Amino acid sequence: MSILYDEGQQAIATESRRVLEARMNKDELLPLLEMTGRYHEGFWNTAKEQGWTALALPEEYGGLALGLVELGLIAHQAGRTLSGAPFLTSGFGCAKAIELYGSDEQKTRWLPGLASGEIVGVVAFASGSDPLPIYPAIRFADGRISGRATGVTGGLVADIAVVYAMGSLGPVLVVAELSDVERSAIGGFDNSRCYAHLGFTDIPAQPLAIDGAAREAALHILSLQAVITAHEQTGGAEAMMEIARDYALTRRAFGQVIGAFQSVKHRIAELYGLVELARANCIHAASREDNDDFIVAAAAARLSATEAYDTAARDCIQIHGGIGVTWEIGLHLHMRRARSLAIEQGNGLFWEDILVDRLTGEAA
Amino acid sequence: MSDLEAYRARAATWLESMVPAFGKAARKGLSEADDLALARRYQAAKFEAGYAGINWPVEYGGQGLGHLEKVTFDSEEMKHGFPNAYFGISLGMPVPILMQFGEDKAFVKERVLKALRGEEIWCQLFSEPAGGSDLAGLRTKAEPDGNGWKINGQKVWTSWAQYSDYGVIVVRTDPNVPKHKGLTYFWVDMKAPGVTVRPIRLAGGDSHVNEVFFDDVKVDDDHRMSPVGGGFAVAMATLMIERYVATDSGGFGPHLDLFVELAKATLINGKPAIADGRIRQQIARNYAMRNGLNSITARAMAMMQAGMVPGPEGSLNKLVSVRSRQKLSELAIDLQGNDGFAFDDHASQKEDWTSSWINAPTGRIAGGADEMLLNTIAEKILGLPQDHRPDKGVPFNQIPA
Repeated sequence: MSILYDEGQQAIATESRRVLEARMNKDELLPLLEMTGRYHEGFWNTAKEQGWTALALPEEYGGLALGLVELGLIAHQAGRTLSGAPFLTSGFGCAKAIELYGSDEQKTRWLPGLASGEIVGVVAFASGSDPLPIYPAIRFADGRISGRATGVTGGLVADIAVVYAMGSLGPVLVVAELSDVERSAIGGFDNSRCYAHLGFTDIPAQPLAIDGAAREAALHILSLQAVITAHEQTGGAEAMMEIARDYALTRRAFGQVIGAFQSVKHRIAELYGLVELARANCIHAASREDNDDFIVAAAAARLSATEAYDTAARDCIQIHGGIGVTWEIGLHLHMRRARSLAIEQGNGLFWEDILVDRLTGEAA
Repeated sequence: MSDLEAYRARAATWLESMVPAFGKAARKGLSEADDLALARRYQAAKFEAGYAGINWPVEYGGQGLGHLEKVTFDSEEMKHGFPNAYFGISLGMPVPILMQFGEDKAFVKERVLKALRGEEIWCQLFSEPAGGSDLAGLRTKAEPDGNGWKINGQKVWTSWAQYSDYGVIVVRTDPNVPKHKGLTYFWVDMKAPGVTVRPIRLAGGDSHVNEVFFDDVKVDDDHRMSPVGGGFAVAMATLMIERYVATDSGGFGPHLDLFVELAKATLINGKPAIADGRIRQQIARNYAMRNGLNSITARAMAMMQAGMVPGPEGSLNKLVSVRSRQKLSELAIDLQGNDGFAFDDHASQKEDWTSSWINAPTGRIAGGADEMLLNTIAEKILGLPQDHRPDKGVPFNQIPA
């Protein structure tokens, strides 16, 4: 069953939008594209100051005990204005793994810092092109991990990571401090995401989930993050649709505004459809967290949000014509972000497979 | 359990009990005449059980309940393949509009009761050869004739006109003013002299739509349901009656489970189709699309329950679902290879991919073509400009044909 946002949730949406619209602008984001290891500090400070880092964590560890719905609303607004750092989602995934699968001692040690944002957390599940391999490439033995994690979002600056590794009896989830890890920056098309390969050489790590259940645990964390990212993608897609609409209402050609041509207006109407389907899937998924169909709902949200953002970014630029492809106008910030978010938390092909496995009863 | 869920449970139980007499199996192999006779008995049973006119006023024989109960019943009823299509238009638009705009209350009451019991059927005479999407471009005319009017012209795509007793009609009464301003709304007796109904066979082989010809058909002035020249507003009111109807994210085609079953039972080059990435991608994307529409519908229901007006995103349902169904049906036929040549023109389009495919174009045109729906979204929701309309403000008889 889907939900209607209550007054408190609507207030979160309104307030986060107000704050982000006042503090974020493309002129500060454009230079970040050309640097590695830098993110928008104003964004991250805002997230900490507003309590967004604490939003979905338990009260006893400094959290606000809200959930996916509320964090999703923040992510939607962050997507609209282009979030300046990836840590809201990466830290949430890291913290949820510790909350759900960690010991009391581990929770006490890490969760308060993650809730305040003093500690930047990430997850490192992928190996090569595989977002969640059957056999993780990183080895865990004698309380230490060795090996290489591929393309970790936020990895360049994070303090701790939840790592998916291979233990003696099978995959495990472990938490590791990253101070002595070898980080190699990935010079990419969306550099404020702080992507890095992480090289572990005998780095101390503590196991979280028990052997045998680690892959399901990791998939659950990935699904939680995917729902947040889907909200962010939907926000970005919505912004692209609105920018396209506003431009089509002002730009004139052949004696009328271009929005009067069906080739343009129908394209924007199609974007509306994609945005609303993505939004509906996001709202549904956020309300299914503790249900059997959560992963299916998360996958559906992820797939429709990726389609919406990619298409909206592509078409918004097309509708702008020449001005749309300039560096200055910054529409490419969204085009880049649409693709980086499409890969983070598992690519589309991965989620299609996860979804169909579950629909056909093939899931383990 | 909420009141609405209790209502749903009662309706589901009753509907279940009707399956032996009126369900798919009971209808199999019936001629259309026999099926219609069965349909009339089913409609009468609904009336007796209190499931006809669910959200209509009690004084007209309705149940006086809300829109939610109506949509709830409809979505339960949809599961069984009962013979209710013959009354879909009749009870959906013409009869409600008669309750709203009919002057002679005693006459209206009698008609409504007979329609609710399935004894009489009404049709809606709007589209014409010269105007489907462009409704106001219609040419059928009514001229003053004694104390009444005389109608001449032709309507088309009129659903169930061949079985209809009455119809509501929009005609041109003044060609000297711009097109929207010269229209008037009447009801007509479909058995009156001068009315000729000719069924049109559609691509899939069935004939539920018709051409209807009017040759000097006389109607009294008390058949008029709008001011003279005020017919367009009543026509719009007719089309707005069922804004929130029971929807089907499958586009009134087969359920996605049927596609999964087909893929599980099929090989591609000796390998299971269900393991083929192309097939899996379509399953995943169609699921995401349908799940999104279901969520939109669930939210609309929740909003209505909370006394709020649902958002405009409900208008996406038909646009998105029917064209997706069309493509998925093509793929399902492809999947069957040479087994896909077969076609049973009596098969249900909700269960058979070929029937779904061949009837899909109708779904994308009837009740608002995709292009009109996109225009509506662009103009009414997003505030984009109307198309250039060369006939705007021009007297109807000066518009170049």
